[in-house]
Parts: sequence; structure tokens; C-alpha cells
Amino acid sequence: MDTTIIDFLRLVLLSMVPFVLAGQGTMLGGRTGVFNVAQEGMMLVGASVGFLVSFFSGSILLGVIVAMLSGALFGLALAYFTTSLKMNQFVIGLALFFIGLGVSTLLPKLILGITLTPPLIPTLKSIPIPLLSQTPFIGPILFKQNILVYVSVLVSIGLWYFLFKTQKGLELRSVGEYPMTADSLGINTTKMRYWSTIIGGMLIGMAGAYLPMVYAGTFTEGMTMGRGWLAIALTFFGGWSPLPILYGSLFFSAVEVLAFRVQVIGSFLPYQILQMFPYIATILVMILTFKRSRVPGFLGNNYDREKRSL
Amino acid sequence: MEDKTILELKNVRKVFGQIVALDSVSFALKRGEIHGLLGGNGAGKTTLMNILYGLYRKDEGEILLRDETVNIQGPRDAIKHGIGMVHQHFLQISNFTVLENIVLGTDIKNKYTMKMDQEAEKVKELCQRFGLNVNLNDMISTLTVGARQKVEILKALYRGVDILILDEPTTNLTPQEVDALFVSLRVMVNDGLSIVFITHKLREVLSVCDRITVLREGKNITTLDRKDASEEVFVRAMVGEKMDIENSIYFATEVRQGFDRTTVEAPKLKLENVNLISQDGIPRLKDLNLEVFGGEIVGIAGVAGNGQRELAEVVTGVVPITNGKKTYMGDDVTSKTNVDLLSSGFSYIPEDRLSDGFLPKATVAQNLILGQHRIKPYSDGRFINWKTVFSESTKYIKEYNIKTNSPGDIGGNLSGGNIQRVMIARAFSSDSQVMVAHNPTRGLDIPSMDFVYQKMLARREAKLATLLISEDLDELMRISDRIAVIFRGQILGVLVRDEFDKYAIGRLMSGITSENQPTEEKNLP
Repeated sequence: MDTTIIDFLRLVLLSMVPFVLAGQGTMLGGRTGVFNVAQEGMMLVGASVGFLVSFFSGSILLGVIVAMLSGALFGLALAYFTTSLKMNQFVIGLALFFIGLGVSTLLPKLILGITLTPPLIPTLKSIPIPLLSQTPFIGPILFKQNILVYVSVLVSIGLWYFLFKTQKGLELRSVGEYPMTADSLGINTTKMRYWSTIIGGMLIGMAGAYLPMVYAGTFTEGMTMGRGWLAIALTFFGGWSPLPILYGSLFFSAVEVLAFRVQVIGSFLPYQILQMFPYIATILVMILTFKRSRVPGFLGNNYDREKRSL
Repeated sequence: MEDKTILELKNVRKVFGQIVALDSVSFALKRGEIHGLLGGNGAGKTTLMNILYGLYRKDEGEILLRDETVNIQGPRDAIKHGIGMVHQHFLQISNFTVLENIVLGTDIKNKYTMKMDQEAEKVKELCQRFGLNVNLNDMISTLTVGARQKVEILKALYRGVDILILDEPTTNLTPQEVDALFVSLRVMVNDGLSIVFITHKLREVLSVCDRITVLREGKNITTLDRKDASEEVFVRAMVGEKMDIENSIYFATEVRQGFDRTTVEAPKLKLENVNLISQDGIPRLKDLNLEVFGGEIVGIAGVAGNGQRELAEVVTGVVPITNGKKTYMGDDVTSKTNVDLLSSGFSYIPEDRLSDGFLPKATVAQNLILGQHRIKPYSDGRFINWKTVFSESTKYIKEYNIKTNSPGDIGGNLSGGNIQRVMIARAFSSDSQVMVAHNPTRGLDIPSMDFVYQKMLARREAKLATLLISEDLDELMRISDRIAVIFRGQILGVLVRDEFDKYAIGRLMSGITSENQPTEEKNLP
């Protein structure tokens, strides 16, 4: 019994990483007012590119870095179309999603062709932290994880500190709340929006790269399985704040692991119903929390100084 | 006040499209003075100061600061040159604290920990020196308009400006808050600041300014020392030669008798224990009781956002009442919608003309009959008689002085003041039994405001009922027979005309119902 619980919780932490990283990436862009809805596509590109680079270079680190760069590229495109060209964020986000979806399947086919046995990369090894991992019960859960689990937690804490404890963070948040004010006080709103969206894109790309490196060891079409969309829900659930998003990821991940477990054990329910489980849970949670969720004041809008009406 | 000019604007010209907003306007500010910039709506006061603050580009002219020509490209440059501006609409972030709003955009000493003890000390020192008490750790969203204005002034002072522009700073302040503001301004100029005070309220400039410049229709009219000129001189300067000041209501001085209620038995409109709960579950109106009699103008005073809009919408049937009773000429009309009410004797001038009152893509004529378009003479119940619509519209365009080429012109091409005239024409032309007018004179110049007041008093003579909701306390005191004060969706008190006292109303506006209670001012932590 004890080992089942430990196993379950260890898996929850392991599976939370894509949620955490994609959620924080979404949050960061949103904090300057850019509402990204291309996560699913960006994660797929991250997964695809991350897998291919790791496969050919043999270096997982290089794979992660290139996946992050691909995410940054999508973030840059989103920032350019919305902030510089002032186009509708939602429409551009959906377009980027479809581009990501297409590119992610096209690249492996072009480069690898069709293979009988799937090409594999080594999955991320767990790195036990000395001493701490020996602690009974919590040791194996918290301190025997792969590197990206630790990274995702550190990124969350780092973002919290940056946003709420530094001057730049204060300025960044002001852009997402009321850019007219920020602009009138000499804060460069355009620069803020570009950087937050680009770095947010990197985190989302990294979230994608995690999937082939931990689960399958290979890239399969649509392997994100809606995690990108769930990241948007998670960000609202976490009130666009880093730490609540981290806790929320645990919930989303737990639901996912649970649904998977029930599938493996086998039950009277058809597995399609079980696969719907995370989404149904999301809707229920959103109904309960959505109204109370605090959203950046300018989320989803583009700021045009010339339109200043006084 | 010293006799040294710190700032000079010379022959500034600004054209918006076809309209000349400023025509060779000059303005000089002396060190240590409060200089009133007086004029009605559309006089160009705000445009001139927006040019100085770098928000608008001037087409011609020169700005001299301490005898040197300066080029101000944007608010950043203005602040760098020591010029600060407090806008009518505050530029603040509502879920940041007061202190965060004040320091935003400046260099914080501990920028990686945000320990802002030093900054807080500096702000507190400013608060004390200028009598601007506000709690630095409060969220902006929890503050009153008066407190938010103090924050806006502190923002400018914190950046070390020595020229401060205040654009209509008394809008939405209670009379008590206005007095406190004037005291603070006096301390500031004694401390070496120079202040430009933009307003359309004559009494305010007379009570606080050292010198006064009057603008009208984008032109300099006069600049005078306060002590050298009488009230009449300024009145004439503000409105020009055409207006008949003797018979105006705007400048009326004699006491007018209030409505005599003993002669009428039943009110035209009666609200009994009306409650309104918004869709997100927040109560907006609480147990509201109100009667409006025929031949009476009832004013609603209150700081904006205390339920005025909801009250107007409940009365006109735009929004259904959650519970309570509404009676019109003795009939229960609680569940009637605006479709029924507008055709059976109600008229409505909504607050927000751009979203609630006007169709910018429809013609002027169409806008003029909106709401009355279902009834005679405009419609026989099925078809609209466009001939009548056009002939009536032409009449109204003339009577209400709407500047347009023909009734068939697109409404959106009119200026704000003219759009307001269309809404006024529409509401007044139907001789409705009950009129709800929400800020009806917003955006109008003084002669047009006076015209609206004349029309309202004519309704009063004709024994029609008028509910006037206004943010302008002077306006309410000028023409209302009774004033009800609304605070957080409740009517806190009703005053009849002989008891009008702006300080008593001001206390009710800030939620104080008895004089023994402490004031709303918060002490410094």
C-alpha cells in the first residue's frame, strides 16, 4: 500500500512538469497583456524539435535548448503580430497553433522518413539528491526525480520572486494591468511585451520537449494530448500567479495519472471515457474557481498609444 | 507669488481635422502662483495643457521654460522638465498599492528586494508637508475618488515637478474634499511650486486662483489678476457677447422657490423598496424609496459609481428590478420594460452617449426619433412615416442648434457636444410625463447648458416630472426642487430646496449620516 502511494505521488510530480512550464509561460505573457492560445502547437513543435535534435546529436541538453529556441520563435511571432501589428491575439494564437501542429508532424517525416521501428532517445534519468532522497516517504517522492522536475519548481519560484519582489517585475505587471499608465511613466510597454512573450514561449517549448524525453523516448503525432489547452485552464485556475499555478499543476497532473492508472488496471468504463476525465475535472474546477480568478486587467488587448483618448 | 515668469506658451495653434481647437493662444505662468485656466467645454483648455505635457503635438507656436525654448515630445520629457499633470481620468493601476503606484517607473533603491522604506519615508514626508493624507499600503481599488486624486498629485510631487497642471480636479469631489484640495494647493505654491488649474467652474477659480486666463472657442479672451476683476467680467469673458446673462439660469443669483408639494396628491413616479442585484450577485440598489411629482425636478447627487446608472436604468426599465415596486401615474409598472415605458410617457437621456444613447452609423434623423419610432406621429404601428420624421427632425435641428448639414447626415460625424444636443432634443421633444436625465449637460458649453436648464424649468411649469442625475453639484443645486443623495445604492437623505447646503450634501455623499461621526479621512500609519 505504502509503495503504491509513493509511486503515485512520484508520478504526479513527474507528470506535472509540462503543466508547470506551459502554465508559467502562458502566465508570463499574460502578465503584459498578451494572451497566448498557441500552447498546444508550440509544445508539439518543442516535442518534435527536441526529439530530433537529441536523436541526432545524442545530447538531451541540446535538444531542450533547441526546443526552447523554437518556442521563443513562436513567442516572437506572437509578439510581433499582436504588439507591433496590433492584430487580434486570439486569431493569431490559433493560426500559430495550426502552424505548430503541421510543422511538428512534418519535420520527423522529412528528416527520418517512415521507419518500421520507432527511433528512440534515452529518457531523462532521475537524479537522486544526496541525503534528502534517503528520507523515508518524501525522499523518493520529492528528491528522486529527473532534472526538469527540479527546474520547473525553481522556475516557478524564480518567476514569483521576479514578478513580486523586483522593480522590473512591478513594471512588467503594470503593463498587463493598464499600459496607458505604464507608458505615461516612461515604461517601454512594447519591449516588455516582446520579452515576456518570448521567454514565455521558451518555457512552453521546454514543456513540449519534456514529453518525448520522459514518456515514450520518441515523438508521436499529437503526443501533447491536449496538455497545451489544459495549460490555459490551469493559468486561469492559478489566477495568473506563479505559485498557485505550481500547486494547480499538481492537481491537473494527479487527475491525469489517476485516469491513466484506472486504464491500466482495467475497469468497466471504456477508456475513451477515462481519457475525458481530466477535461471534465477541469470544467468542474473552472466552474468553481473561475469567477474568483483574478485576471490581468489588459489581458487579450493590444495597446495603441495613438488611440489615447483624453 | 514672485513676479518671475517660469513658463510661457506663445501663439500656440492646434487643428484637429477641420476644427481649429487653438488659434494662436498664449499663456504665461509665474513662479509660485495658482493660475486658473477658465472656459466652458470646447474652449481649448485641456488641449493647450495636453500640448504642454507632450500628449498632443502643436501645429505652430513655442514653449519657453525658464526663458529657454523646449521641445516636449511626450510625458517623459515633460516630467524631466519638471512639469506634472493630473488628468481628469487617473492613470493608476487599481490592484497595486498606493506606494507602488507612486514609485512606478522611477528608480527604487532596492530594486531586487523592493524594500521601499526610503521611498515610503519620502512619500510620507510629502503627504505631511502638503496635507495629502493617504495610507500608502492601501490598494488603489479601495480608495475614494478624492484619495485617488491625492495619489495622482503625490505621483507628480514625488518626481520633483515644480509645475503642476490640474485638469478639472474638483470633478467628483465632495465639497469638503474640494476645500482640503485648495488648502493643499496653497501650501504647494508657498513651497515654490507653480500650478495651472483648469476648470469650467467660475466660483472655484475665484476662490483659489491668483491670476485667471479665460479661453473661449480656442482663443485667448483675457488674463486678469483675481483682485482686479469682478465676477461679471469673467462671466462675460467666458460666454461672449451673445448670451443673455441677466435671464440665464446658469448665472442666476436670486432665490427661486422650491416646488410646493401640498398642491398635488399623487406622484407621477414612485419607487418603493426597490432592490437591484447585479448578475455577479452584488447588490447595486438597496431598499430605495423615491417619489417624483409632476411639476418637480428631483436631483440625485452622489460620487459617480454609487448606483446612479442603475437607478436610471431601473426607472426606465432597461434593467429589471430584483424586488420592489415601481408605480407610474398610479399604475404598477414594475415588470414593464423600456419598450413599453418609452412609448407610454417616459424619456431618457443616458449617461454614456457613445454606448447607450446614440447610433453613430445611423442618420441624425434616425437618432432623433429613436425610442419614439414605434408611436405616432412617426409610425402608424407598422411603417415609419419618413416624411414626418424628416420634417420634425429639421425642426429639432434648428430649435436645438444641432450643427449638421441635413437630417440625413451620418450621426457619427457630429462632435460630442452636438451628439449630446441630439439626445437632449430627442428626450425633450416628446413632452414625456417622466424624464430621466443622467448628466444631461456633459460636454456642452455654457449657453447650451443654460438652454437645457430653461427646457427643464419649462417642463416643471408644464407639471411634468423630471429626475436629474448629475455629478455636478452646482447644477443640481441650481435647478432641483429636492436633492436625494445616493451612497452605495442607498438614498442616505433627501433635502428640499430651502435646506440646500453643499457641505451637508457632501457629508451624505461620503456616507456620513450624522455630524457626530468621524470623517472619512484616514490618518497616516
